[in-house]
Amino acid sequence: MKSWALYGITRKLTEPFKKLEENTKKMDKIFSKSLNIYPIDVGNNGDLNFEMAALATPQYNIHRFGIFFADSPRHADVLLILGRCSEKMIEPLKETVNQLPEPFSIIIVEDGTDFGISARNLDLPNVIAYYDKKLEAGEILSVLLNITGDRK
Amino acid sequence: MRLLGVFEKDSKELLILQDRNQLSLENINDVKEDFANYTMLKNRDKHIGSKAVKGNGVFNFRYGPVTGGVGDAGVFNIYTYGERILSVDIDPGYKKRNIEILIKNTALHQAVNWSENVCSNFAFSHSCAFLRAVEKAGNFRSDEVTQRIRIIGIELERIYNHLHVISRLSKGASQNVLASHLEGLFEEALRTNNLFSNSRFLKHTNGLFIDKNNFKKLDEVALKVKNVEEKFRELYEHSLASWNFIDRLYKTAMLDQKKALEIGVTGPTLRAAGRREDLRVYEKFYDNFKIITKDKGDVLARMQVRAEETMLSCDMVINQIDKIKKMRQNHNKIDESSISGFGMGYCESPSGLVLYSVNMNKGIVQDVYISTPSVFGFKAFADSFVGYILTDFSFSFDSFGINFADCAR
Repeated sequence: MKSWALYGITRKLTEPFKKLEENTKKMDKIFSKSLNIYPIDVGNNGDLNFEMAALATPQYNIHRFGIFFADSPRHADVLLILGRCSEKMIEPLKETVNQLPEPFSIIIVEDGTDFGISARNLDLPNVIAYYDKKLEAGEILSVLLNITGDRK
Repeated sequence: MRLLGVFEKDSKELLILQDRNQLSLENINDVKEDFANYTMLKNRDKHIGSKAVKGNGVFNFRYGPVTGGVGDAGVFNIYTYGERILSVDIDPGYKKRNIEILIKNTALHQAVNWSENVCSNFAFSHSCAFLRAVEKAGNFRSDEVTQRIRIIGIELERIYNHLHVISRLSKGASQNVLASHLEGLFEEALRTNNLFSNSRFLKHTNGLFIDKNNFKKLDEVALKVKNVEEKFRELYEHSLASWNFIDRLYKTAMLDQKKALEIGVTGPTLRAAGRREDLRVYEKFYDNFKIITKDKGDVLARMQVRAEETMLSCDMVINQIDKIKKMRQNHNKIDESSISGFGMGYCESPSGLVLYSVNMNKGIVQDVYISTPSVFGFKAFADSFVGYILTDFSFSFDSFGINFADCAR
């Protein structure tokens, strides 16, 4: 078998992606070059965490659109809140929002369950999109591309 | 004999015990045996792991609930003096959703929905265990086709979970090409789930009766699974030739069989420690099933068990689809409102045994106790991680295939 380096370039896994129009606020003037997202699990049932893992797969190849996962909220442009808040996650979430550098935006994606408290009711600043249903990896990418505008 | 659960009912403390495929509910006063995991199970919602360690230079490195390395909402209190890990205490409470309380007084279809939402990546296993408990309570079994469709769901769930775990391990070991290709297969597996059940996490499919006519794309599913298996086999064989990769996993986070049995851990973790135990072997419609074991009990062994199980699961899905296509299904409608009684059911999820103990009254759930593999897995992680260093965290943790959603319910 070929070495890993050669094996890696023999198969193209990235797929063309056509974004869908989403009801989000465009932030293309601010985040024109790149978008760093920090996902925070506030108590979802796990599928949004797995959708984030799917978003990092080569099929979506989000880096080609200038989208990256930030390792800390202090390096993030967008905070992606995943799920509805469990009681114990309300304070850590608020503290995370405090750590975001200006300018920042917040997207709330819930998992379609009735657990916990909606982050929408926590009076968080700069919420640019809210979904009360679960989104799949491709749909999350669509939302992010609607924020950044058309660019490749 | 294994202790899987402890709960109180009518001022009595009850124990859920498992001996091979036999489950029993016993009053604590009637049980003579001592179980090393009793205290851990009693406190499973407060903390799992070992006590805090004090000493010169020892501090608590608090990892989570909002840190880059912990994607799930939960906290690891890691006691160390800067290098070697001395003790790990885990707080799963950040993910607590009280699902056992929410299930109470709900009708069957709503309760199945709750069970699927305990933990999405084990959604099918949870709903299977719940429905099997309901079947026991009602003293009936679902028809053969339904049971075979459930096997497909369980094995599809195993495939994508195992692929995810192995891709996480390879990413942690900086095997970027391997990780990238495995992530690609993981997404392929999620799409295959969607093709099978209209849900990437196999939700809204399971029931007491599953109509085979709802599955129009079984041939395509079989083809996709075959494709995943072929690609995975090639990648896995290639990965075993990479010394950098193997060296990182070998002898990391070791858990021997004695310790694994004391904790009560099941699934790939137990089989990787050399124990030949997989409850699928007792199920009627698993044809030619074989148990995969390794004996080292380290991250590498757990990865190998998962890898070989992935290929085996692919074969099982293809075989079951082949069988179902030729079978006729009797449309025996089950009257849900007539189900009353007590029952316990289990399912061998990708990371171990999921168990439901259910009381039903005229189709309404009266009370439920859920035993999840992640509770035992977190304890296994906490114990096996002691003595290693923080850079081993991702390998050690990921190799157990556990998460806070499953643990905290």
